[in-house]
Amino acid sequence: MNVAPPRPARNWPLLLGTLGFLVGMTWWSGHGIGFSLTELLCNLPGGQRLLQESWPPDFAFLPRLYAPFMETIYIAIIGTVVGGILAIPIAVLAARNLTLGPIVWFADRNFMNILRTLPDLFWAMMFATAVGFGPVAGALALSVFTIAVISKLWSESLEAIDMGMPEAVRAAGGTWLQMIQFGAIPQGLQHYVSYALYAFELNVRASMVLGLVGAGGIGMILETQRANFEYERVTMIILAVLVAVLVIEQISESIRKRLA
Amino acid sequence: MSANPGLLKPQKQIGWATWATFIIAVLFFWSLIAIEFSPGRMIQVPGQIARVLSFFYPADMAYGWSAVLPAIIESIQIAWIGTIIAALLSLPLALFGARTLFPRIARFVKLISATARAFPEILLAIYFVPIVGLGPFAGALAIGISSVGMLTKLGAEVVESIDFGPVEAVEASGGSRILALRYAVVPQVLPEIVAHWLFRFELNIRASAVLGVVGAGGVGGVLLNTLRYRHFEKAAAVLLLTIIVVLIIDMVSGEIRRKIIRG
Repeated sequence: MNVAPPRPARNWPLLLGTLGFLVGMTWWSGHGIGFSLTELLCNLPGGQRLLQESWPPDFAFLPRLYAPFMETIYIAIIGTVVGGILAIPIAVLAARNLTLGPIVWFADRNFMNILRTLPDLFWAMMFATAVGFGPVAGALALSVFTIAVISKLWSESLEAIDMGMPEAVRAAGGTWLQMIQFGAIPQGLQHYVSYALYAFELNVRASMVLGLVGAGGIGMILETQRANFEYERVTMIILAVLVAVLVIEQISESIRKRLA
Repeated sequence: MSANPGLLKPQKQIGWATWATFIIAVLFFWSLIAIEFSPGRMIQVPGQIARVLSFFYPADMAYGWSAVLPAIIESIQIAWIGTIIAALLSLPLALFGARTLFPRIARFVKLISATARAFPEILLAIYFVPIVGLGPFAGALAIGISSVGMLTKLGAEVVESIDFGPVEAVEASGGSRILALRYAVVPQVLPEIVAHWLFRFELNIRASAVLGVVGAGGVGGVLLNTLRYRHFEKAAAVLLLTIIVVLIIDMVSGEIRRKIIRG
């Protein structure tokens, strides 16, 4: 007697369709961007030369990095604080169980999604054009980026809270604001802090490259050295950035773990 | 009220939160002073933004269809190839990076993935551009390499969370470690890992959109140039089309991810 259960039938049309789509999309994309292994292999000697030029890093350049590096951190702090505060009402109104009404919810939700579609550097380019090159543009850009990150994540965790407390506040005669303040936010606070720290990590990383479009921070030095092909200095900057990012991430992660 | 100890506020929690708020406030105002973001400057900002925004209307859609859309398509292609490179490289790395399967190799793999994750893709592109030349190919390589780190980490976490029963079953019936990977591990982890790939593709669309800033192809270079030469109607077309295309891709990809996870 055969006791093995029958093999589940495969959905061949779906499987082949997916496979065809994947292969087709990859071929089309590879063709479109001029992907070629031969080109990559032929250019490897050039890459070797570049690596030789960019090594060893120019350590004498390190002291000049201090001021722009601190500027980067300032930008990240301002962006996280401003964005973190503005994200609170946006996240609350985007949570289905707390929002003021379907129209507000719909508008806020779409506003949030549109904010999220544009990458950080696009905001930086626009603010640099509007308010001029410099760290102020970077801080504004990261504020918007932070709103997008925190409001999306936090609205989802607010939707998962226990509705007993908010309903109790309401039943005791509390207003909508009091319901949010005493019923909802205390439950979501831990998540909020964790997301804010996560946004800060992202912001530190982003603020390193904001300078490429003139929005202040260490990226501005990076851009001038890159344009002059001073790759020893480029390597020095990137190494410094990497170390800083890793250290800040470690600190932030250990705080987040303690909170969780 | 305070006669009832049950209604007292939890003192310890409040103290901690107050200190944290205070420190953050100090850091915040210190930063504002350091970058010279004075109240006078702040008042100017809304006006400046409104002025530039007023130039954005109407969007130059003729330019949008002829120049921006091809650049956006190039960004999508960069993101796709980058994601494919990262997916192919990260699948074996994720398996070897799982502490539960390969305790010794896992430590090493995790170190590599942490290093790869620390690089913003745009910094990698700065290195790839001189190697393979200006253009989208450099962008795709940069996206691919920097995505490997995150996909390896997430993939390894998925592998670590599997049910070990099937693995033991394969090995108990005489199968090797490799066979156990093929028949017990991969089928369990594939749906979640593919969902991570799709999510990374969504992120990579945004990443590839900015790579044009360093000459690595895509729509970022177009936006930078239109803003630099103050062609605000053209810049508006870039923003509008980018928002629409990214929204559509996010929706489709998100829907597929939900389907895959549900099975």
